[in-house]
Amino acid sequence: NSEVMTKKYSRDFLLKFAEQFTELPEGFQVIPETAEAFVVSNIGTPRDPY
Amino acid sequence: GSSLTSVPKTLAAKHPLEHSWTFWFDNPSAKNKQAAWGSSIRPIYTFSTVEDFWSIYNNIHHPSKLAVGADFHCFKNKIEPKWEDPVCANGGKWTVNFPRGKSDTSWLYTLLAMIGEQFDYGDEICGAVVNVRARQDKISIWTKNAANETAQVSIGKQWKDFLDYNEQIGFIFHEDAKKHDRAAKNKYTA
Repeated sequence: NSEVMTKKYSRDFLLKFAEQFTELPEGFQVIPETAEAFVVSNIGTPRDPY
Repeated sequence: GSSLTSVPKTLAAKHPLEHSWTFWFDNPSAKNKQAAWGSSIRPIYTFSTVEDFWSIYNNIHHPSKLAVGADFHCFKNKIEPKWEDPVCANGGKWTVNFPRGKSDTSWLYTLLAMIGEQFDYGDEICGAVVNVRARQDKISIWTKNAANETAQVSIGKQWKDFLDYNEQIGFIFHEDAKKHDRAAKNKYTA
């Protein structure tokens, strides 16, 4: 049963995915408090005020 | 035939991690307002697949690009990167120092070793943090049971191997750090 085994991934294996996933996860929103952690802030300007 | 083989490739392709992990960021400008310690830490995102890890990692600053004073954490989901967290309370940390701006590769390798479950005592690990300071970058791995010397020493040795780091590193109990701040002494070395 593979479900009881630890999901191990080597560094080389993980690095293979680095170039393929460059977009922020779908629906992800940056909040102002953490905006400076991001390379490109997509806080944007909401149409409606909070 | 088995219906499992007909799962669309886009759905089947995500690689689940053993644990969910949360990135946390501590905002240096908020810290300057002398807010209570820890009150400016904010969770950024929780991921549980290899793909989602990269989606976030590729869009956040690496330590060399963060402002002085920033702290970036990656902790197992539900564990807060604070001494007060019940899972961390009896723990401690290994710390590796780098000249300012030279920790990017080691930070990534630390994250990959954790999420890829490369540590023999991975269950002991709470998470990792990089502290960006004026003179140096510090990366620490936080663990759960500081008194478990076998586990801590194993983690310290393996971590040095993963980072190809040759200098001695030290393990400090959170309890000692609380009492003695910077004067806290290493309980273990690797």
